[in-house]
Amino acid sequence: MSSATSASEVGHPVNRSLRAGRFSLTALTTLFLLTLRQYMHGKRWIVMGILFLMPAGLAILIRATRSNIPSEALEFLIVYLLIPQALLPLVALVYSSGMLQDEQEEQTITYLLIRPMAKWAIYLVKLLATLTTTVVLTAVLTTLTYVAIYLGRDNQGQSVLLRCVQSISIHALAVISYCCFFGLISVLTKRVLIVGIIYTVVIEGVLANLPFGIRLATVIYYTRIIAYRTLDFVIPTPHGKENIAADAWQFNIKSDPSLLDHPQLCTAVTILLVSSLVFAALAAILCSRKEFYVKTPEKN
Amino acid sequence: MHSEDSNQIARSVEVEPIVIFDEVSKWYGNVIGINKLSLRIPAGVTGLLGPNGAGKSTLLQLATGQLFPSQGKVRVLGREVWNNSALNRFIGLCPEQDAFYEWMTGWEFVHTCARLSGLRRSAARDATQHTLNAVGMAKHQNRSVRGYSKGMRQRTKLAQALVHDPQVLFLDEPLTGTDPVARRDLMNIIERLGSEGKSVVVSSHVLHEVESITPNIILLNHGRLVAEGHVRQIRDLIDKHPHHIVLICDDYRRLAAQLIVRDDVEGLAVLAKDKGLMVETHSPDAFYGSLPGLSLAEGLTIREVYSDDDNLEAVFKYLVNK
Repeated sequence: MSSATSASEVGHPVNRSLRAGRFSLTALTTLFLLTLRQYMHGKRWIVMGILFLMPAGLAILIRATRSNIPSEALEFLIVYLLIPQALLPLVALVYSSGMLQDEQEEQTITYLLIRPMAKWAIYLVKLLATLTTTVVLTAVLTTLTYVAIYLGRDNQGQSVLLRCVQSISIHALAVISYCCFFGLISVLTKRVLIVGIIYTVVIEGVLANLPFGIRLATVIYYTRIIAYRTLDFVIPTPHGKENIAADAWQFNIKSDPSLLDHPQLCTAVTILLVSSLVFAALAAILCSRKEFYVKTPEKN
Repeated sequence: MHSEDSNQIARSVEVEPIVIFDEVSKWYGNVIGINKLSLRIPAGVTGLLGPNGAGKSTLLQLATGQLFPSQGKVRVLGREVWNNSALNRFIGLCPEQDAFYEWMTGWEFVHTCARLSGLRRSAARDATQHTLNAVGMAKHQNRSVRGYSKGMRQRTKLAQALVHDPQVLFLDEPLTGTDPVARRDLMNIIERLGSEGKSVVVSSHVLHEVESITPNIILLNHGRLVAEGHVRQIRDLIDKHPHHIVLICDDYRRLAAQLIVRDDVEGLAVLAKDKGLMVETHSPDAFYGSLPGLSLAEGLTIREVYSDDDNLEAVFKYLVNK
């Protein structure tokens, strides 16, 4: 390496670039972009791609085999039962569980911890990148599903477009809440995938469907409230026009007068947003006090 | 960290030790990583030596603020390191683990680290190129890290540690797994960094590597400080204890008879297979001095004289096992 010059020779470029200050926007922006790039690599991207095509594929399959099913019913079944109940928590869990744990497993977290970035800032930036990724994926997923449901049907394009945008917003809110919650869990335990799956199945999957107070502590409940109060789920049935969401979600005002006591749209949105902020802040605080053990060859 | 702080740090470099461990312990559950370690590492190049599991990596992780000491305080450049991310502008670490963002090219990896250190776009670009030239990776910089050899990976890791031009460098086993050429190159780089006024702490479990980089060493074992100082001081320590000197001689039995009566010989072992003797002595210098006379007076041809103790490896083995 006779031709090699040292880093400090000839006035290192750093000397004129490093600025005083506790936070570097450059560093945080780089971390944000780095996290997005990380999400674009690896098998996770393929798994997510397949997962995201599933609802659209299912819609096409149902339309091909049961041509008489109303589009609104199909939309409710896939966009408001399958996606928020199963896919959104799963997507949020897969991405938010890996935010820091993947870096730790792959031992690259050292390269972040030795930079002039506070640990809580690292967490928040990675969370922001995770939210961006999952929200974009959710928007694509929902749009594809709407296309698969309504393409070729004799519907008013504008109203379907509006419903699609509303659904994307509702799903985005749900996935943000899930990400913030699972992000917090990932800071608390290494077994975030197991805890997350149990939570999704038991709390969000089973208990949220029972008309008890516990559903007030679930994301899916508020997601449904928002959907119920913003969208129309009335479809024609052999018994006349019925609100399919009312029965499916136990929001039928005739049999459940207490529905009037359920949160209003604004309250439900606020609860999801505030709880997300609280989860994110808690996780960031915990992160700032956390030691991230990296398996060095010596320890191995 | 404000510019006033930077000036304070610059002043502190001249008068204070670069790294201070004050009664520091670190344990992982029941396992002790570092045990009541008090240490002052001065400016310049310092070798951190110890066998695997001695606590070298734990020490470096504590010094770079990745771990919180269970007890005691760790200061670098006069500042406490835990949760002091601003201090990282002045610190560089070449970690032991062979981990990268494998999908990046070498240039992208170092450039990303430069940007993560807060360097603006053009400065990061210049610094990346500058540093890759410095570690001899410029011609491979556009290849994916995934395809790099071990030596190239070590050079790239060193580049990311240097890219923001830190004052203090911690290099955790930087020579591990490298071929002789890469090893020599990396040693040259480290020596040059020291001569340019950087403070470098290099960990290794291979003594001759560190010995050829710096005479200032710290020996660790089981999380404790075994010895520190100049190689010579450590040799002085060892001279208080028996040295083992091997003499190869065809007539080794007659030689043994001559040696056994001497006061400076503490013990004697016959190495029949090698036609030699292993002498244990407290006075190695005097013993070495008497060998030519012994050989001449008794007509004994001593074909080979060597001592493992001449190599720092033996000193190290002795000290860590005592």
